[in-house]
Amino acid sequence: MNRPVLFIGTAIAAALIAVLFVGLGNDPQQIRSPMIGRPAPAFALKEVGTGQTLDLQALRDTPTIINFWATWCMPCYQEHPVLIDNARLFGSKVQFVGVVFNDDEASIQKFLRERGSAFPTLLDQQGKTAIAYGVGGVPETFFLDRQGIIVAKFSGPMTTDVLQANLEKAIR
Amino acid sequence: MILLLIALLQVKAPDAAQFVGAPHGVALQGAALERRTMEVASLLRCPVCQGMSVADSPSTVALDMKAQVRELLARGYTEEQILSYFERSYGEFVLLKPKFRGVNALVWVLPLLALLIGVVLVSMKLRKLELVDGD
Amino acid sequence: MPFAIGTWLACAAFFSFLIAGPANPFLTIANPPPDGPGPNPLLQNHLLMIIHPPMLYLGYVGMTIPFGFACAALLRGRLGHSFLRPLRASLLLPWIFLTVAIMLGGWWAYEVLGWGGYWAWDPVENASLLPWLTATAALHSAIVLERRGVLKGWTVTLVQATFLLTILGTFMTRSGVFNSVHSFTQSSIGPTILAFLAAALLFSVVLLALRIDSLESDGRIESAASREGMFLVNNLLFLILTFTVLIGTVFPLVAEAINGKQMSVGRPYFDAMVVPIGTALLFLIGVGPALPWGRGTREEILRATLPPLATGVVVAAIGYAVGVRNGWTIVTLLFGGYAAHVTLKEMWLPVARSGTSALRRGRRRFGSYVVHAGAVVVLIAIAVSSTTRTSREVRFSRGDSASIGAYTVTFLGAEDRAEPHRQSTIARFAVTKNGRAVTTLAPRMNQYATMREPIGTPDVHSTLAGDLYLSILNVDVAQQRVALHLIVTPMVMWIWIAALVMGLGGLLALIPVRRTSVILTQSAAKGKDLEMADSFGMTS
Repeated sequence: MNRPVLFIGTAIAAALIAVLFVGLGNDPQQIRSPMIGRPAPAFALKEVGTGQTLDLQALRDTPTIINFWATWCMPCYQEHPVLIDNARLFGSKVQFVGVVFNDDEASIQKFLRERGSAFPTLLDQQGKTAIAYGVGGVPETFFLDRQGIIVAKFSGPMTTDVLQANLEKAIR
Repeated sequence: MILLLIALLQVKAPDAAQFVGAPHGVALQGAALERRTMEVASLLRCPVCQGMSVADSPSTVALDMKAQVRELLARGYTEEQILSYFERSYGEFVLLKPKFRGVNALVWVLPLLALLIGVVLVSMKLRKLELVDGD
Repeated sequence: MPFAIGTWLACAAFFSFLIAGPANPFLTIANPPPDGPGPNPLLQNHLLMIIHPPMLYLGYVGMTIPFGFACAALLRGRLGHSFLRPLRASLLLPWIFLTVAIMLGGWWAYEVLGWGGYWAWDPVENASLLPWLTATAALHSAIVLERRGVLKGWTVTLVQATFLLTILGTFMTRSGVFNSVHSFTQSSIGPTILAFLAAALLFSVVLLALRIDSLESDGRIESAASREGMFLVNNLLFLILTFTVLIGTVFPLVAEAINGKQMSVGRPYFDAMVVPIGTALLFLIGVGPALPWGRGTREEILRATLPPLATGVVVAAIGYAVGVRNGWTIVTLLFGGYAAHVTLKEMWLPVARSGTSALRRGRRRFGSYVVHAGAVVVLIAIAVSSTTRTSREVRFSRGDSASIGAYTVTFLGAEDRAEPHRQSTIARFAVTKNGRAVTTLAPRMNQYATMREPIGTPDVHSTLAGDLYLSILNVDVAQQRVALHLIVTPMVMWIWIAALVMGLGGLLALIPVRRTSVILTQSAAKGKDLEMADSFGMTS
């Protein structure tokens, strides 16, 4: 029995297996956002349709949902009715804001005409707002509490359950 | 309600200046700007791709990130400032070259340590093998 | 032999179990995914996709055979010539497949992914490289073992590590634990493969610890400044390289396990770490074969190692003259020229001495130098192509032209084409070089019903001197506008060609030499081992 070989070999093997085993519990596709717990980056963006500017500062004291999306994104089609239904359901208690990422105004207006709208939709030029929020792919949704702190983030198309579960953290 | 919130204001996207302060470097332009843009973008990970850098990826978000890098370099931001701006919103995940800091320093140190140990072991082995010769 | 067969059967049993149980491909899925029919769009585009996976598979699975021999040698407590020859041959064959497969994978990435590179240090790319590195180290240490009777335990360890790394690679590809370009092969068999990896690791470590001392050397090395000394340095470098690539690949998991933060280790890290080691290996390709076996006098050593330096300097100077400025690339050219000189001299010497019959008799040796020649060219081509490429991003309207290097590219127009599985937009470009029409390139942008983002297909004009690579960033058919990434990369084709040469060299070294012409070394004369191996038909 060669003890050094046994000990060193076992140490290397145990370390490798342990790391891989812990790794099995992670989903590498689900990137956790460092933005959670931080104040949401301020912005003032032009609203599609009206041409007016909406300033995030003005939404203080209202829990806010910021949804990043685009008309070229297939899952966004799925998610749109969920957002509209919930925006109508919560009415003035929660403010919904859509930020359209990398798109042109004409396609957005066509999309909203055909599929309806229930909350302001803002235009993000050159993706600057998306980058400040750490948006990777659309759709991504941020939940802000009354103080304007990001309390949750969801990547991918939301269902009503997901939306309301995350919203609870923002209302609390 | 909504009408109340909408004021006629200047359009203002979030800006790096809010997070990393005033530029510390020299403003770049022309060929130097393009070269540095590619260099800095190659240190950033495209968030929707599989391990590709922002410099290489043709995806929309990567193109926007590259444009942002170009703009910040043109305004005189340094590589370090730009990297920490992106790290702020995307996390350490966005840096393709881990910083020599905390746990991540290990990824730089371990191979060097292994090399050191290896050199010692090989020279010991060589001496042993030579000694068997009897001289 | 029964031990070897036992090992193979144990592996076969596990994978049969995997197919029969956890990864049964014939089960119906409860929720069929929307992209059910056909492979991922990235895999539909290229002929190389038909060749690359089976080659890689042969390389991976083939490493089980030398593993069986290594375990048998340990279990028997002996590693004589009867085991060494089949061990070497069974290691070399999958090595050839793996060499070619890695190159094909890089070529596919280059032709399909659209960013103009061939290697991104993606976890699964690394997974294919890791066993290749240890197998290459084992092929080298086996030569010292054959010549000097030393490094027995070490060679066996490397062979075992190679097999274990193929299992690790399988885990990396199939578990979905790593963020990778190969994520399309995810499934739920991760835990099962991990259990097998753990068992195989434990088995190998315990077996090594129990039996390694019984294998120890009956030989010796006379001097460190000899060819065998260089083989040891070679093994050290290959091992450090393996360790570095492994650490870089799994480190995001380590960091997340320790501090819970997700981080990345990407190309800038690997470039910084691997380039110096690769350059040092290139240096060894030159110096190693130049040094004599055994103990040489100081004068002999200098006479053998100094003249090729002139060739190295000339090659580096040529590189500088044509515009290479990167420090590491200059060093690569210097060492590359040196290594090329030594390699060609070693290939030529036997022929000069005793005519072409030397090639037939010394085929194994000749083959090895062909591999070296290929490796030298691959390393030079990688260094040159990655540090001297030029790229531009240009927006075209129809009729616009742009120049890059000696090429001028003119946008002829874009059109939509509907296919059953996708919508393609094809942009056509006329390419002229120094004013003469060369070709027409047609990069595309494809929108698949099942994908969130459109996927581009680049188009490449390849020549021996370099490639012109066009990749669409954005295209608008209505306005006839396109944003295009233009890349000129010198010497890329040499990587594919030289890697094939490496494979061919391996084949030359593999084809058995007729028994009568084998020059038996001392340890080969141990009769009993030979008889045993012959009865299994393992010797040639």
